[in-house]
Order: sequence, then structure tokens, then C-alpha cells
Amino acid sequence: MIIDVVGLSKTYRVPVKGEGLAGSVKSLFNRQYRDVEAVKNVSFQIERGERVGFLGPNGAGKTTTLKMLSGLLHPTAGTVLVAGYRPKDRVVAFLRSITLVMGQKQQLLWDLPPQESFALNRAMYGVDPAAYARTLDQLVAMLKIEPILQKPVRNLSLGERMKCELVAALLHQPQVLFLDEPTIGLDVEMQVQVRKFIHEYNTSTGATVILTSHYMQDIAALTPRLLVIDKGTLRYDGSLTALTERVAPERRIVVKGGPAELAELGFVPVDGDQVATVTAEETNRRLSSVLSRWPMVEIAVESPPLEEVMARYFHEGSA
Amino acid sequence: MTDAGAGARETPSGAGILWRAMPTLWRVAVAGIVAYRAEMVIWILSATLPLVMLALWDAASAAGPLAGFGQADFARYFTVTMVVRQLTGSWVVWELNYMVRSGSLSPQLLRPVNPLVYNFFETLAAIPWRMIVLVPLLAGLVVWRPDIVFAPEGWRVCVFLVSVALAFAVAWLVQAIFGMLAFWFEEAMGVFSVHFALWSFFSGYIVPMALLPGWISGVARWLPFYASLGVPVDVLIGRAGLPEVAAQAGWVVILALAGRIMWARGIRRYGAVGA
Repeated sequence: MIIDVVGLSKTYRVPVKGEGLAGSVKSLFNRQYRDVEAVKNVSFQIERGERVGFLGPNGAGKTTTLKMLSGLLHPTAGTVLVAGYRPKDRVVAFLRSITLVMGQKQQLLWDLPPQESFALNRAMYGVDPAAYARTLDQLVAMLKIEPILQKPVRNLSLGERMKCELVAALLHQPQVLFLDEPTIGLDVEMQVQVRKFIHEYNTSTGATVILTSHYMQDIAALTPRLLVIDKGTLRYDGSLTALTERVAPERRIVVKGGPAELAELGFVPVDGDQVATVTAEETNRRLSSVLSRWPMVEIAVESPPLEEVMARYFHEGSA
Repeated sequence: MTDAGAGARETPSGAGILWRAMPTLWRVAVAGIVAYRAEMVIWILSATLPLVMLALWDAASAAGPLAGFGQADFARYFTVTMVVRQLTGSWVVWELNYMVRSGSLSPQLLRPVNPLVYNFFETLAAIPWRMIVLVPLLAGLVVWRPDIVFAPEGWRVCVFLVSVALAFAVAWLVQAIFGMLAFWFEEAMGVFSVHFALWSFFSGYIVPMALLPGWISGVARWLPFYASLGVPVDVLIGRAGLPEVAAQAGWVVILALAGRIMWARGIRRYGAVGA
């Protein structure tokens, strides 16, 4: 087991400030606080080499949890062990075994070519020069960033910059990767490349990957295991398929450009196609009845899109 | 829990690592200077404020010496002030304030080197490159006013060099402490501006310590303002000595301890601000 979290909670004390100048002056002398429970009694274990996705609406507590796992935030209650260390102590050996990539924050030196940032990280992490050269070559080849190594970071596109951030974050060969929205703002093509890289990196090195994302595609393509955090509590821990089966077990049978008579079998027209929504068990029976009458139609069976599954899941929770 | 061994208990400071990384930091500093060519111009202009003061005091002392300062004395004083200011300048207050408020401190906290120690070495690495500005300015000054050339005793030069190093440390620590206020207050930079106004007066930056009214200079002589700039200047021109340098060393110890305590507490608070 590489990560062990038991009863983790985080409560922020935020000052309450009245409106306008009067409110500001008042809060200067008599500051009122309000407690916000960002994470409540969360427990889970992660094995070495797993790829795990944290999913949840904005403000659900995903990033707070990730920050406690990486040592940036001190938990209010509960225990966290990552690679055998308490993250909040931020001891050197712990820092060498993890990395955190934040899609919205960067560590590359803005006005210099990425190579300078890489060299600096090499020095700071005390990576042996031969190992550094080897790792750098591998990462550069995997991400195909050879041509941009000499350009100042400020001249790179968002996607190129994220690729360089990943290189900088991985030069010390960490065992645990915390990725906070690594594909945010990237175009679809670049998202695919970053996902592919993370997947390859995980399988070739055996490093553990913990990822948060707003893009369902990241989760669907990358993380077989899903932790759903909602309003600070862990609501689901398991595979994506199992979650879909539970929340949205129905199938959509789509008959492309199908005849209007399909209405007799419960189909409704949608954008020129005929569509029926059925339970998983009923799917085969319905398919054969369609095909027996119209053997030549083009037919497809779809699960509900992941976005819809999650929207329904979170709605279910608040209802 | 895995027993990670004694070495693993070490929390990051990273001074040793950064000494070894000095060549990289040098390259980073020079590349930064090249990248900020436009800012170089502003930097050159700001470096010359002591020369403006020189022109003012030069005119004021045309009729006769003020508190023992003749025209040549003022010329030497402000020339040395310009040099010391260049050698002791830092920007950690702006950097730290920005990093705390924007959250860009977070990635730095996860590297095995303390972000403040990193900034200290980064600042140190930039100093040699400031000579690029300083050397031509000094050459021009010598041509314009040959009387600024003077020959202090050897021991004074040695004490001066020690005093410059201490002034650098005091100036950097004071800025780091003001920067750390951002962990608690949104108005940290405003507080620093107030400090800067006081500093200008009591550091010797615009008025030599000897020209301040007696009781004021009696107090100001022992404050960190003066320790961060005026002491090495006065040491070199023979108006301060070992007691003032000892006071500088005392301030380095006090400020470093205060800074350590503030850092430990500030980091715990950081999460609440913007980690």
C-alpha cells in the first residue's frame, strides 16, 4: 500500500467580513470567523502502481484532499501516510518521492527556456547527472518536445508548457504523481497526448497516479478506479463501469434514419433517428424485434454519456 | 509506517544543495537579465538615485563643509552608497508577497529546498551581473570628478567587505520578514512602503548619518535601517567602525531568528490564504 488515509478532515476558519467600509473597519477590531468543513472523515487506501481519479463538482474537496496528500495543507483531523511518510512534515525523503503538477500553477522559469528549469530541478533534487540525462531523453522522446527546449517558456503554447511542466515534475523519478487538472485549458488533441503520456508513464515506471479533473474523458481514459468526493465526503470508491451500471443502467438503442413505424415498438424520433431507452436486460429482446421487421437498418446501442451519469449521480445526492 | 532512516527526518533548507547549484543559478540570473533588457534601463536609472543626491548635496556644500562634509566627501559618500546599494539590493518582499497571494508558492514548497533559501541564493547569484551596470557608471564618475578617488587603509577595506555582506543579509532578512506578512495581512506591501520611507531617511541613503540631528543619529545608528546600507559606507570613509559592524551582526541573528519563527507559523497559515 502506498497511500493510507484514515478519517481525514479539513476545516477552514474563514473571517466573516461585513459589506462595505463599515464592515471592513468592524472586522478589523472584532473579527468573526466561520468554519467551513472542506473535507469530512475521508478514508481510502491506494496500492502502488494504481491510477486513481478524484471526481467531484467545484468546491467538493478534491483539491483540498490532494493538497493534504502532498503536504501543502495540514489536516484538521485524521491520518495520512504517503510512501510511509506523514506529508505535512515535508521531509526531504518524502518530497523526493512525490510530485505535484497543477494545471493552473506553474513551476517553470517564465523567461527562460525549459532546459534551465530542468537543470535547476536536477540540482535541487540532487539527481545524478547520468540518470538525469537518461530520464530527460526518455521524457523528451515520449512527449516529443525536442524542438521547443530552447524557446523561452513565455513563448510556448499552453499545451507545450504543460508537457514541459510534466518533464520538470518527473526528472527526479517520483513514486507518486499528484496531478491536479493536468489537461485544463488544453485543446482536444493536446489532451489526448497528455493522457496517453500519463498512461504510458504509469505502465512503464509503475508509479502511482492520482488525478483530479473536470474532463470526464480524462477519467474515462486514464483511471480504472474512481473516488467521487461530494460536499467533502467520499461518496463512491470503485470502478467507473460499476458506477455507470448503478446510476444509469439503461441503454439507448439508436436506429439511424429509421422508419416512423418504429414508434409501434416505443421508439421516438430524435434528429432524424429513431431512439428508444431500455433497461440493460431488455436490450437484446428489443433489438431482435427491430431486426426481425427491418433487417437492413443501421442500429447502435449506447450507454449514457459519462457527463450525464455524473450529473444524475450528483443530483441524486442532493435530492 | 516505514522506518525511513535518520537522514529522512531532515526538513528542507537546502543551503548545501544550492551552493552546488550556484553555476545553474548564475545562468538563470544572467538569462533573466538578458530577458529583461527593458527593465535594465529602469534599473540603471534607479541605481543612480545616489548620484542625484550627490548633485543636491554638492550644491548645498558649495559654500563650505556641512557637519564636516565637504564637496569631495559628499562625492565619495554617495559613490560608495551607490555601490553598496547595488551589492545589497534584493526583491524578496515583492516575490514572496506575490507567491503567497497567487498560490505560486505551492509548487516551490514541494521541492526539497526551502523557497526562501532558494531566493537568497538566487539574489546572491545575481550580484556579479550588477557589475555590468556599476562598472561603466563608476568609470564615468571618476572621469567627471577625479576627487572621488581615495585610498582607505587596508583594514578598512577588509571590514568594509564584511560589513557589505552583513548589510546584504540584513536588507534581505528585513524584506523577507515584510514579505511574510502576506501570510496574515492583505496590506503587507503597504506596510513595506511605510518602512521604505523611514529607511530612506535613517539608512544614510539620502542623508549621511552624520548630518542627522544628534539625538536622532544617536538612536538611528543602531537600527536595522542603517545596518542594511549606511554602515559599510561609513566604515570605508572612516565614519563608523567595529561597534556598528557588531550591531549589524546582532541584527542578522535577531532577524534570522524572527524570520524562522514567522516562516514556521506562516506556512501553517498558508493553506487558509491560497495554497
